[in-house]
Amino acid sequence: MSDGAVPPELPEVPLREVGARSPVVHIVGRIVSVRRREIVRSTDGSRRPLLSGLLSDGTATVRFTWWDPPREEIERGTILRAVGAEVREFRGRSELVFTWKTRIGPAGPAELPRIDPESLPLRTVRELADGDEGFRLDVRVLTVQAKPVSVGEERRVVHEGLFADGAGVIAFSSWNDFGLAAGESVRIVGGYVRSFRGRRQLVLDDRSHVARIDGSALPEPARWLRRPPRPIADVEAEGGGEATAIEGLVVGLLPPSGLVYRCPECRRAVVGGLCRVHGTVTGIADLRARLVLDDGTGAATVSAGRAATEQLWGLTLADVRDRLKELADPSVLEEQLAETVVGRRLVVRGSASRDDFGLTVAPESIEPAEVDLDTAAAELAARLNRGS
Amino acid sequence: MGLREPAWRVTTRELELSTVEERGGASRVAAYLLSPFGARMNRVVLAGTLGPAEPIGRDEPASFWRARLADSLGQVSVTAGSFQPRAMVQLRASSADRPAIVVGKVHLYVGRDGGGSVSIRAEAVRSVAESEERAAIAETLRQTLDRLDLLERIEHEPSVADAALRLGGYPAAWITAAREALRRYPEADRHGFRASLRAGVDHVAGIRLARPGPPEGSVRITVDAPLPSRPEPSSTERAAEAEFLGLVDEAAESSEDGYADVREILRRLASKGVGPEQAEAVLGRLEEGGLLEEPIVGKLRRA
Repeated sequence: MSDGAVPPELPEVPLREVGARSPVVHIVGRIVSVRRREIVRSTDGSRRPLLSGLLSDGTATVRFTWWDPPREEIERGTILRAVGAEVREFRGRSELVFTWKTRIGPAGPAELPRIDPESLPLRTVRELADGDEGFRLDVRVLTVQAKPVSVGEERRVVHEGLFADGAGVIAFSSWNDFGLAAGESVRIVGGYVRSFRGRRQLVLDDRSHVARIDGSALPEPARWLRRPPRPIADVEAEGGGEATAIEGLVVGLLPPSGLVYRCPECRRAVVGGLCRVHGTVTGIADLRARLVLDDGTGAATVSAGRAATEQLWGLTLADVRDRLKELADPSVLEEQLAETVVGRRLVVRGSASRDDFGLTVAPESIEPAEVDLDTAAAELAARLNRGS
Repeated sequence: MGLREPAWRVTTRELELSTVEERGGASRVAAYLLSPFGARMNRVVLAGTLGPAEPIGRDEPASFWRARLADSLGQVSVTAGSFQPRAMVQLRASSADRPAIVVGKVHLYVGRDGGGSVSIRAEAVRSVAESEERAAIAETLRQTLDRLDLLERIEHEPSVADAALRLGGYPAAWITAAREALRRYPEADRHGFRASLRAGVDHVAGIRLARPGPPEGSVRITVDAPLPSRPEPSSTERAAEAEFLGLVDEAAESSEDGYADVREILRRLASKGVGPEQAEAVLGRLEEGGLLEEPIVGKLRRA
């Protein structure tokens, strides 16, 4: 990097205002993601290095391109000050370009724009879209769970769960322990939204603030967590959603289901003794069931894990491994599972997402559906009488 | 919309009254059976009493089986061949009548006399408790009534926008099917059909009635109008034809251009012990009968 003490001649602007004012700006931001590449010039074949990634200052996140960057590594999390960065529009979004005319130096967290929480717009869960930040959000904590994860060498704990307001539910993951507890109402400032495989997630980190608020205007958790099943066609049309409930018949079982083997390192499925990432490994036995649940309006794939599969099958992992010893053909196991589950009526609750293969539900719970035949018959009779 | 078609909840009576088939063009090979009451079916879920399975054809070992599924409104043939081994085992699992749920694809067999009959090629069969069977029938009746209501709504107000119907809770696929059903079956007797559902409601309520005999226009899987020049095909020949057509459908569905490759079919039949001469003879019969055509040399499709 060039000399740290860059005299700012241009007035500094928050990233949220980039693009609105002038084609050349002065900003301070933190690198959220970064990638080093080389562009080959078509004229003479020479190579030109560049860095590209995302820059955030808590008011917005913008894409940046840094031509001819310093040779040393620029790490994620680095805060920098850029004077004379050029603003370009790409597909309706402003981007920053650092050229030889841009003066770039390191900066400290204190130099990031001071955000007055009261100045940030109050948003609802339903309005949030991928990449959004710089908002306030009043929500109820529906669920929260601490989960240990490894980030590189480091062991960390991430707190995951669901937030809801009157209009919607969103998943969150927090890298800080804010002491969140299910049922309490909070105001969130300084979170940002990321989408992964069609699932929106609100991310909280050490720049975020959580304050307890009076939640009388927010719904009780049960209103979301125990809501009645909805038609699969409606869930599909909305692209999925959190705390979704569907009810239907199991009409099929997709491979791989039954006994599977997972990599001891990353839990990915092991095929032919090979993990996609860790190579030759000794797989750990596990159970799963990929159920096709259909309610006549649409179909969803429900990926049941070991506990749910054991419950549906009525066999434990140990039972299944015992059976395997007596079987000449292990594929019989999958058929036995299919015979047990197909035709069962289930209520599934969990997170639903839609991709090219249709709707998939990561289940929180799978339960047999209760049908009151007397009520059903009475309702049908009433409808027939009305219609004829 | 996802890649997997929803499975329509229909009664056997609705299947018996369905005569219109939609064949996809070059880009869409899926086939649909359109009912007069707003179901546009590829896959269906049926519930009822399943009878014992019997083999079709005299081949040993038998590779194609058929059983009858009856609900309180009618009945339909359920078949499974060696290409659905799991369903075949389940279909043969009992020699007594039993409550069951069947998941399968509809198949309209149009005979040489032009008369059609619907059968279900089973993907999965499961014996269930009677209460589960009644719950499935209840769902079928509820969705059938929903579809009848939708047809009425559209007939009443043909210009109603799909978006308005979506807001009313109808899935997009149902709206498409309903509009098509009104167009293709302008004379359908919806009142009579609606009234016939009463027997199903009684069944859900647990009221036992004598099982009706085969209703009029009931299932025939056979073709019974022999051409003068040819003797009536034997049941073995018919089973071979059904198997061949099944292979054509499967090959067409998995191919990019929507045609079934003849060599592919012959290879698959060979792996099942059917020689090329036998296969050619079956193909000849099917082409003669107007069921298959070969618009491009070596490429087959349903006529």
